[in-house]
Amino acid sequence: MNDTEIGQALGTAEPQVNTDDALARFRARVQSEGIAGVTPVAHRRIASRWLQGLAAAAGVVIVASALTLSGVADSVLKIFEPKSVVAVPITQSDLNYLNQACAGLNLQDCMGAYGTFVWTTPPQPKEVQTRGQASSETGFAVQAPASLPSSVTGSPRYGVINRSSATFTFSADSTRQAAARQNRTAPPMPANIDGSKLFITGGPAVVQIWGAPTGATGATGAYPDVPTLIVGQAKAPTISSDGVTVAELQAYLLSQPGISPQLAAAIRAISDPSSTLPVPVPAELAISHAVTVQGVQGLYVGDNTGIASAVIWQKDGMMFEVIGSFTESQALSIANSMR
Amino acid sequence: MTLPAREGAGIPGGAGHVAQAISPAFEGLFRAEYARVVGIAHRVLADQAEAEDVAQDVFVSFYRAHPADAPYAPAWLHAAAAHAALNALRGRDRRARREAAQAVPIDTPAVDDDPAYIVAASETRDEVRAVLARLPERSAAMLALRYAGLSYAEIAAALDVRASSVGTLLRRAEDAFRRELR
Repeated sequence: MNDTEIGQALGTAEPQVNTDDALARFRARVQSEGIAGVTPVAHRRIASRWLQGLAAAAGVVIVASALTLSGVADSVLKIFEPKSVVAVPITQSDLNYLNQACAGLNLQDCMGAYGTFVWTTPPQPKEVQTRGQASSETGFAVQAPASLPSSVTGSPRYGVINRSSATFTFSADSTRQAAARQNRTAPPMPANIDGSKLFITGGPAVVQIWGAPTGATGATGAYPDVPTLIVGQAKAPTISSDGVTVAELQAYLLSQPGISPQLAAAIRAISDPSSTLPVPVPAELAISHAVTVQGVQGLYVGDNTGIASAVIWQKDGMMFEVIGSFTESQALSIANSMR
Repeated sequence: MTLPAREGAGIPGGAGHVAQAISPAFEGLFRAEYARVVGIAHRVLADQAEAEDVAQDVFVSFYRAHPADAPYAPAWLHAAAAHAALNALRGRDRRARREAAQAVPIDTPAVDDDPAYIVAASETRDEVRAVLARLPERSAAMLALRYAGLSYAEIAAALDVRASSVGTLLRRAEDAFRRELR
């Protein structure tokens, strides 16, 4: 049996339909059964909530990075440099806790709950006009997807962030005061953590955004306040320590009130914390699993309904992410077409 | 595009919902995709009336939970058409299967009015339906989508597989189909 015969077996003639009649039947059913549809506005709110969840969770990266940094004892500069990514589930209670602790999730304020955070080279984002300019600004070849789904149209906008660095000094006093402001009692900070320093560097980074709000009709028109595609590329961040160990930091930070047992267990399960970047994933809103992308193991995060998908991977010292309203296969196709 | 009332009450299913007029965007989607959704279901069921019932259910399911202008709307509808039709096929009883076989002349060109041909074709297509019902879900859905005329890219989007894998998966599905049909 060849292809033609299979086709014949399955029927070759197209059914003749009357779409007007079918639509009238649909309207009647919706009316008689009281079926309500989803409004685009409401749907955008779901998407917005999801993205807000991710954005809030991004604040957790700071905590999570601190948990996994490689500061090995007896060494002044041991570098945390992610070579792989792993999902850690962030529950609503984690988010609520961080929302309180981090006063709006501003990086400086968030870290301020545990000590003093000082930018030595602050990030200064700016927009450039072309990919070539983005490459020359960052000093690396900026990659772009070679193929895009039909829902992504137009040209991207380019945002560039310089290589930034900061120093963080743990302070038992700051921690006590931050806890007191929230009417809580923090567990005592171990003496060897009090006063120890972390040296954090990140970037340079490039963000390419398709369908970004411009005030005019967006690329999609359908979701003018939600970009259709975001592609990020950055030099992998590094964290150094002047002595405190991973085990000590984990034990201390995971003992903080408000960190869910689920998150704590996931952080403790990371086998090589010096080279694994934990990616916070809202536990109630999203699914995640490992995927192969660009020949390496990456992470897929999505809500399985097409509202939003993200693929994150690390290759050759660079972190990449692809985010948008796609199915998993579409997101992977975009990610694998990055050149 | 906006819809009247219920702003912010986006998750349907609560008490006291009042049906609203369907939006122009949804009507556009319905008009653009209805024939294809029926076509996919028809490849599985070989019964136009049943295929149109499936199509109605598919559009209702989409309408309840998704915005009409979602970029994934066509792919969602195509996949749902295949899966809903396969579910309907598996749920048929013997009587319904006989009726499906008798519906064959709808597909048969008018020139093929030789009774012997029609009977033979009916038996073949009845068996074809039984084979589809036995195949793994994805293989059966892939055959329905491909032979309803969808491109590899459309099949990839509907079944959430890589476009580069569709050819291989389709060949496997066809091989399985041949083996089952003998």
